[in-house]
Amino acid sequence: MDGPVTQHLTPEEIELWAQGLLPAARDVHLAQCGDCRASAERERKLLRELALLPRLTPEFGFVERVMAKVKIRTPSGEFKH
Amino acid sequence: MAWAKRGHEAAFRELVRRYERPLFSLLYRMVRDRTLAEDLAQETFIKVLNGLDSYDPQFKFSSWIFKIANNAAIDHLRKREVETLSLDGSPHATTPDAMSATALQLGAPGETPLQEVEARELGGAIEQAIAKLRPEYRACILLRHVEGHSYEEIARILDLPLGTVKTFIHRARNELRIHLEDRRS
Repeated sequence: MDGPVTQHLTPEEIELWAQGLLPAARDVHLAQCGDCRASAERERKLLRELALLPRLTPEFGFVERVMAKVKIRTPSGEFKH
Repeated sequence: MAWAKRGHEAAFRELVRRYERPLFSLLYRMVRDRTLAEDLAQETFIKVLNGLDSYDPQFKFSSWIFKIANNAAIDHLRKREVETLSLDGSPHATTPDAMSATALQLGAPGETPLQEVEARELGGAIEQAIAKLRPEYRACILLRHVEGHSYEEIARILDLPLGTVKTFIHRARNELRIHLEDRRS
């Protein structure tokens, strides 16, 4: 059976490596395997691009537009709109 | 959450403020239409805030709210068959003319101010590559790599087995790399 040093990295392990979280035993394989290093570098580049995607913002006044349509309970337990 | 469950207006408002950008970002990237994404985000918040009594606190609140938002997007895409809309045109198109007629135009001349905003916001290479993914892959990638949810949370949000989520994310990343490499070569 393949051990931690000979087995190729799984996509999840590559993700862990890109986050700096790959266990040391698997790092040994990465240091020795050109294929895994190449995939890991490609993956890191993509993950960086995805991580840089900005959060987008709805039009001004969104919260008020939502609140205008939500049922709010008054202190007496009734709903106001 | 407890305050919001009792219907306190300030707590409701705080929940909307906290989640408006993450939810809107997911929905906008799913449906690629600003106005529609805002409508779906509103629909999601109204469902969530009016239905807080049905929230089960054994699950993360963020998983619940993203699940409702994602369902709204997927329902819409299914109804309108927008899942077939890609930058290259509908996969149902059988001729180059049909593909061109159904292709999503970004940054085209003569566009409205709203289309200009959409082109600026979603016109980058990575955004266009995401748009080409099928909706399930798109949702997985956005939830994992933009919103930072764990694989387990994504499985709960999408009602999919954990193994399927892992497979979808792996395939989606491969497709994204291929789309990006095609554009750059």
